[in-house]
Amino acid sequence: MIVNANVRMGDIELRTPLLTGSGTFGYGSEFEDLTDYSALGGIVTKSLSFEPRAGNPPPRICETSSGGIINSIGLANVGIEEFLGSKVNELPLDKTEVFLSVVGDSVEDFTKVVERLEDVERIAGYELNVSCPNVKRGGLSLGGDREAVTAIVREVRALTKRFISVKLTPHYTLIAPVAQAAVDAGADALTLINTLVGMEINAETRKPLLGNITGGYSGPPLKPVALAKVWQAAQVVDVPIWASGGIVNGIDAIEFLLTGATALQVGSVLFADPKAPTRILNEMIQYCERHNVDSFTDLIGGLRT
Amino acid sequence: MVNKIKMSIIEKGIITDIKQISGDIWDMTVAASQIARNSKPGQFVHVKVNNGFKPFLRRPLSIGPVNGDTLRLIFLVKGGGTQILAKKNVGEEIDMIGPLGSAFRMPKKDEFPIFMAGGIGIVPLLFLDDCLTNDIQRLFLLGLRSRSFSTVSDDELNKRSIYVSSDDGSIGFKGNVIELLTEQLDNNKLINPIIYSCGPGIMLAKLKEFCEMRQIPAYVSLEVPMGCGVGACQSCAVPKADGDGYYLVCQDGPVFDASLVNLNHGELP
Repeated sequence: MIVNANVRMGDIELRTPLLTGSGTFGYGSEFEDLTDYSALGGIVTKSLSFEPRAGNPPPRICETSSGGIINSIGLANVGIEEFLGSKVNELPLDKTEVFLSVVGDSVEDFTKVVERLEDVERIAGYELNVSCPNVKRGGLSLGGDREAVTAIVREVRALTKRFISVKLTPHYTLIAPVAQAAVDAGADALTLINTLVGMEINAETRKPLLGNITGGYSGPPLKPVALAKVWQAAQVVDVPIWASGGIVNGIDAIEFLLTGATALQVGSVLFADPKAPTRILNEMIQYCERHNVDSFTDLIGGLRT
Repeated sequence: MVNKIKMSIIEKGIITDIKQISGDIWDMTVAASQIARNSKPGQFVHVKVNNGFKPFLRRPLSIGPVNGDTLRLIFLVKGGGTQILAKKNVGEEIDMIGPLGSAFRMPKKDEFPIFMAGGIGIVPLLFLDDCLTNDIQRLFLLGLRSRSFSTVSDDELNKRSIYVSSDDGSIGFKGNVIELLTEQLDNNKLINPIIYSCGPGIMLAKLKEFCEMRQIPAYVSLEVPMGCGVGACQSCAVPKADGDGYYLVCQDGPVFDASLVNLNHGELP
């Protein structure tokens, strides 16, 4: 039995539903010795800002006693100028679809970056990161504001015909109104979810484990939260949802398809297993064979409630 | 930033030997031909300690002496991850990414290499020691808390002529390894010394001060919490000495010219 792995989102066809989560795969060249790109439908790059950002004080990563990890990278990135000067050449454009993640502290920050990126050829689209928990201004607070999300998406939409996904935080009391606002403003997709704000401390030394004290919690413990947000958003919007949160195996990935996601981001799992995309894809195919499903697309929203 | 080497692979090595050196120190030999044959002293492997995702992250371990197709990983049991490693048996597989990061630059002909290890920091220096030909004179120093915390066997100490210091005087020179270094430098009037070091943050910070005062070049290998190991996640940041942002230990290091990094008075991440 041949399982059709393709998924379609508007004009874009992904050869598999698997994408890399922003911030976990750099600009796409760092893992080139280790990861088989043919298992990926696309990559989402490290978030790019207008100005370079040095990032947060270390330590920037820790494990938690309940599983998963917390990071506080602080959106360290080279900024748009250096990106266009050097990193742009590292993008694996011949190997897979490339979505550039964009971040900013203001609406103008987003538009200034996207304006410059419009000249980069062969880019499949953008993911607007309006929800990073690790920056003091903007980030979470910007994404927490429905008006701000609307303004960012509307202004970027006016600049580009390219595909736009908007990455939302799980910290809204209700996800549906913000999801709807992003779609009304012109989003082609929603990425759900960014990390949860978390912290971990060492009781013996009475010190936080991260230099920034709090960070973004990711990994397997996030899956139930992400499933709920994907499910809730899928009830109100009809754009594709890119699910992100705790996917480490093929069954996790299938669960998100059933809940209503079209594409699936693998993130933190890449640190432990750089070959995760291939493994997850194979496990998804095995599931389909077991259940006589001949296309991943047939599973989308297939939850029986 | 020294001798930067790319090309790393995932290899499942086979444990061919594992033994306890002292309380929490274990010495594991792994057959992993591709990594072993491409490794340079200073580089590390990123080890997945078990199947599944508990613990979630890999553990970066310095590559110890390499012998043909095998490499030695000597490690300190610090937490859950290394505890799992210590319970492995001969014949078990071990999933490693490597070789990763920068290597030590080899001493030039007119330089006198000094290896200065603190505790478990001896591992990359053992490998470096093996890579210098026998005709090259060197000085090998190891600082320990006490004899019972030794990170190498007595045989290895003797074979390599390692000078030891211990805080409590239970083995070798009584005092810290910087004091031992000072004594050796002054007594032997060493010309053109170059120092290679790995150990606790506080020792490296003191060494950096010492070397800047005496204008001795020093290379330090750093250990900090790490994510991907390949430069993508930017977790393993260490501040630059000039204050202009951060280096990544996995990619720019783990070996750094000590003058280029801010060791923050030993408060490493």
